[in-house]
Amino acid sequence: MTSVANSPAPATAPTTNGGSRDNRGSWIPNGAMIQTRIMELRKRRGLMAALIVVYIGVPTIFLLVRLIAHAVAPKSYGPAGGYDIFTALVIGFMFFLGFIVAATLGCSAGSTDLTDGMFRHLVITGRSRLALYFARIPAGLAIIVPLVAVGFTIVCAVCVFAAPTKLSYEGVNVPPGLSAAGFNHWAASHPKEAVCGLPNFGPNNVPCYVNGKGKVVVPRGTTGFQNISPATLKADAVKVAEQNYKAYSKLFLYPSDALMIRTGLWIELEATIGFIVGLGLASLMGQRTVPVVLMIVLEVILTPLFSRVAIPHLINAQRGLVGLAMSHLEPSALPHNLGGGGGGPGGGPTLVPESLTVAICVVVAWLVGWTALGAWRMVKRDA
Amino acid sequence: MSVQTMDDRSPRNSEESSWAVETHGLTKRFGDNVAVNDVELLVPRGCAFGYLGPNGAGKTTLIRVLLGLTHADKGTMSLLGVSVPRHRDRALARVGAIVDEPRFHGHLTGRQNLEILAAARERAARDRIDSSLERVGMTHRADDRVSKYSMGMRQRLGVAACLLGDPQLLILDEPMNGLDPAGMHEMRDMILSLVAEGRTVMLSSHLLDEVERTCDAVAIVDNGKVIRQGPISELLAGAAVEVHVGCSTPDRARTVLATTAFGEAIDVDASGLSIHLPSGTGQDAIAEINRILVEDGIAVFHLEEQQVSLESWFLQVTSRLGDNV
Repeated sequence: MTSVANSPAPATAPTTNGGSRDNRGSWIPNGAMIQTRIMELRKRRGLMAALIVVYIGVPTIFLLVRLIAHAVAPKSYGPAGGYDIFTALVIGFMFFLGFIVAATLGCSAGSTDLTDGMFRHLVITGRSRLALYFARIPAGLAIIVPLVAVGFTIVCAVCVFAAPTKLSYEGVNVPPGLSAAGFNHWAASHPKEAVCGLPNFGPNNVPCYVNGKGKVVVPRGTTGFQNISPATLKADAVKVAEQNYKAYSKLFLYPSDALMIRTGLWIELEATIGFIVGLGLASLMGQRTVPVVLMIVLEVILTPLFSRVAIPHLINAQRGLVGLAMSHLEPSALPHNLGGGGGGPGGGPTLVPESLTVAICVVVAWLVGWTALGAWRMVKRDA
Repeated sequence: MSVQTMDDRSPRNSEESSWAVETHGLTKRFGDNVAVNDVELLVPRGCAFGYLGPNGAGKTTLIRVLLGLTHADKGTMSLLGVSVPRHRDRALARVGAIVDEPRFHGHLTGRQNLEILAAARERAARDRIDSSLERVGMTHRADDRVSKYSMGMRQRLGVAACLLGDPQLLILDEPMNGLDPAGMHEMRDMILSLVAEGRTVMLSSHLLDEVERTCDAVAIVDNGKVIRQGPISELLAGAAVEVHVGCSTPDRARTVLATTAFGEAIDVDASGLSIHLPSGTGQDAIAEINRILVEDGIAVFHLEEQQVSLESWFLQVTSRLGDNV
């Protein structure tokens, strides 16, 4: 066999350094790689617009409508903000949607290089495939964390600054932030409101209730309070107050700073999990649509389903659900996100039990496990 | 151009190696299908090298193996004297490549796509974006979205991406695909200019005419196996010779020649005869044909040795050897 010989390189020959100084075999991505990944995701205008509309636009519009309605007809529409609105929005919207929005972004980040044909170009640069994968994590988080933060900040701001001035507990206007003694004292000085309005678990011979305007109503044809001495009524009111203090103590006009911070971090953690799992799953499957659907199914169907009822033979598998683990990490002042018997008011079925340590381990395992799976597939995949 | 035999080759896995690409026993299987079959390939530095083969011959698979896009099942290889995949990062630092149709993020501009690729290379690559775009004539469309690019523009952007790393070796898979004649002409000029700068360009193609115009040396691959390789001039010199004879009575001339050593492969047409002679046939044979015809009273108007094209040689080789490998 013959071949042409090496011809001498002309004076304009390219440089011959091997590029070893750029450390491209390292698994650690450089800053420029992360920056360009952020740009690539940020420039997906359709996706970004959808995420912003869903996560920031919807709660903003909801709160805006409440603000306007309250300003126009304050007697018909309550304040836009407050503790109740905060918890409802956080649990019913921001927690679940944060996960899904982050998962959608993660699935895009994990699959677009493949579907757009850029993966091959990137591999040919000689850069470590691990570095190519790991560059997506800070890039995606640099988008999803601020997005969640902005949406949550808007909710917090409205809930604090447009909070009600009176605390309504079971329809009864109660001063906020009372101690147990203070709550008893209030009940003693407002015995009719306490006896008729607050839930009580003992015999109550007075047929009465508190209407929507906070007034005590005694039905016609009944004796009302005529046969009860003021001292007895006061004693009954204190007894009712004692029964209700635990639930009352979890009510606030607006969320405290500590609660908002803890809740914000909790939602950010949920979004981070959504992004990391979405990234790993999309990298594993090499596409976006199916992983997004699977993530929604996990969050909306599987997690609630398997978190509420303990199945004896599957209980350890149930404990491996990241949604269940996140429920156990939920700030205690919030009503439970999965409708179980969390720290907040309200009842419902209890969650599958899990210790805090196990919950933390499950979250870490999901983050590490999906990252490892996605990175492994990235390394092994034919480009 | 001087000739070097395989036995003369420089030591393997040395960056001083004469070979830009060197493979030994390289094999890649997909199930029972052997896409790359024990390939021994030597691509010298500083030339344009054509990797030719029919569709499905395993051209792209070999390139993908070389670039680490998929793994080899057997064999060794090196790029620019650096062993791959062991030192893949060091080898690919000075390699640029287009594999299959060049595709990019459609929602980004050409420049932004290059920024992503430059970020994965060394820091200096970012400074080469403008010059790379200028070199491929894409400066004026660099800030348009790639989704609005034609196929030819994407090909040129692909070449610009190759140039970001100031490559010593460019591997281009079917670079002429989708280009109009003017685009093919520009691509050919670009390849020649890259070679003139001392870079090595290895291109795979089935457009034999383009390869013949562009490349100094070629390898022919069929059924995953390299069946010929070397400088084009040497390969064609070893091809069969065709002599066209213009004469007064072609049918009689064929009858006369049929009784001689030249009678095995003669075609007759209105203007004369086409005589196929074995490779290595010298000028004496042509003179002998002339003598036989003239002595038999046939008027010979002209005798012309036809230049064998790469295409006809390729067809000869692949049809004769392709089934036997």
